[in-house]
Amino acid sequence: MTTAPTSQVSQRHRGLIARIEPFMGVLGPLVMIVMIAAFMGVFEPARYFRLSNMNQILLDAALYMPMAMAMTFVITQRGIDLSIGSVAALSAIIVAFLMKQYGFPAWVCVFIALGLGGVMGLINGLVITRLKVPDLIGTLAMDLVYRGFALVLAKGLVLARFPDLITEIGRGQMFGILPTPVVIGLITMVGGYFLLRNTYFGRYTIAIGSNPEASEMTGVSVDRHKVYAYTLMGAMAALAGVMLLGKLNAIQATSAPYFNLHVIAAVVVGGTSLFGGRPSILGSLAGVLLLSMMINALVTLRIEFFWQSVASGVVIILSVATYAWLQKKDRDGGGSVGAALANPDNKKILILALIFAVILALMFAMGAVLAAPPGASG
Amino acid sequence: MTADEKPVISMRGIKKRFGGVVALDGVDLDAYAGEVLAIVGDNGAGKSTLIKILTGVYQPTTGYIELDGQRFTMADHSEAIANGIDAVYQNLALADHLTPAQNLFLGTELTRKFLGLSILDNRRMDREATEVLRSRLGVELRDMNVPTESLSGGQRQAVAIARAVRHKDLRVLVMDEPTAALGPQETARTLGLIKALRDQGLAVVVISHSLDDVFEISDRVHVQRRGTCAGVVKTANVTVEEVLGLITGANAAAA
Repeated sequence: MTTAPTSQVSQRHRGLIARIEPFMGVLGPLVMIVMIAAFMGVFEPARYFRLSNMNQILLDAALYMPMAMAMTFVITQRGIDLSIGSVAALSAIIVAFLMKQYGFPAWVCVFIALGLGGVMGLINGLVITRLKVPDLIGTLAMDLVYRGFALVLAKGLVLARFPDLITEIGRGQMFGILPTPVVIGLITMVGGYFLLRNTYFGRYTIAIGSNPEASEMTGVSVDRHKVYAYTLMGAMAALAGVMLLGKLNAIQATSAPYFNLHVIAAVVVGGTSLFGGRPSILGSLAGVLLLSMMINALVTLRIEFFWQSVASGVVIILSVATYAWLQKKDRDGGGSVGAALANPDNKKILILALIFAVILALMFAMGAVLAAPPGASG
Repeated sequence: MTADEKPVISMRGIKKRFGGVVALDGVDLDAYAGEVLAIVGDNGAGKSTLIKILTGVYQPTTGYIELDGQRFTMADHSEAIANGIDAVYQNLALADHLTPAQNLFLGTELTRKFLGLSILDNRRMDREATEVLRSRLGVELRDMNVPTESLSGGQRQAVAIARAVRHKDLRVLVMDEPTAALGPQETARTLGLIKALRDQGLAVVVISHSLDDVFEISDRVHVQRRGTCAGVVKTANVTVEEVLGLITGANAAAA
């Protein structure tokens, strides 16, 4: 009789964790969003919570929504795409030229851009599936190729001033208050959710990421659906390129340098597993919002722009480490610092770290002692 | 089975070469409806290659397969499924992050029309999966909405089997070491499933290393040895020692 209630409690406890787990992707970023909001509410409430600033955050987030949606598919299939920044820049530059120099109508150019991005994504997919180049190297190399073409085309030029349709896509307002890019971004997110739940592509994306061999055995065309995912990724990167073009009303070959990591960070923060099989479109949306809020907070606090890169990196590491810890079945033991130091491997790593600390300390001391006034030589 | 009964499927003179290695050298095999045929043999005897040819994964270098006495060829596994032949592999070929129903229909999803597009009919797949598991295998899962990875080994096996038997025109079911990764209780349950499928009129072909299991469920035993068939015996007429002898080659004449 005495054991029954406890086992019931532990049962219920496990049930609760199991029930929460699918929503971790959304809950995690939501908790962080609330934390950022609370922090900013204490330190910079007036400037952070202004309507115009909220608008700014959404506008910034919208740019990444289509890409985060597509990247969710790519990562769920155990893939990665590091070329999206260049795909966005190259497609935007090509259509910018078509509009500025050849007078193509803007609406045609939007579709041309999507098509070009899709083709670039298709090429990525073929490089990975047909030429058997691992996705990391394949898309990194294609990133160089696309960026190179963008530089060849645009040289150092900044193309600016585009038709109203383009600026509407990039920074217009719909229904009075809702920015057009946010509407576009949310539509792609909803589309992604539908694709994931209700189409062969979505179902096979999870199956491929979960167990590629089993998918192949049961007649799923693994390579074809991988190509689909990269094609979608390319098209969505191009859409982001057009949105960026309209947002800035200008474009150059070096635009969109940090799209890759920003989007991957948003997706991973949102709980989509890098090890495949676990997508979370809603989580990706939350991740995009979180990163935009964080970067905006840094700007509002007047922290130097370059710290953004540091903050993004730290958020990625923290969230992936947290998810890895949550995935771990056995969370007992290995708790205290003392126990960790007793491990011989950890001892050796500690010694290595100490050696480096000593060498660095010595060299700094030596440099400071021997320092001469900086001359004209350098 | 009785001599006048025709086999559902026959393999004749199957030879398979991988580069210079001859994996199978002129193997014959017959499987009858309502019968469990066990394939036993040492590692590298060609069991897996044989059933991969039977299920269309590999194509024989020479030799042919007959279905109801008609010669036919399969370009890939999906053609085998279309012809009523399916397999449950040792690794079960389940996508662990999908639900049991999604796994059951993996590769053959049901669709419905939505604004002129065909989209997945998740509700119907859930319903039919539950129905197949209950009516064909007598298995009821507590929760159909969990990832397959959270199920027990026996339940996962049931999902994999259900995927094969879901097809109404399935006639030949091939199982590769169905009990290898299971505990005693789950093994007994899986053997029960195999018997139930046999009684439903399927021709079941089982690869197994466990002679205990083989003697419990099989009607005939096909012994592979070094790429050839060392003999086909009726389970009722032999002892474990005799089958072991065939496997190791100690008494090659016993067939």
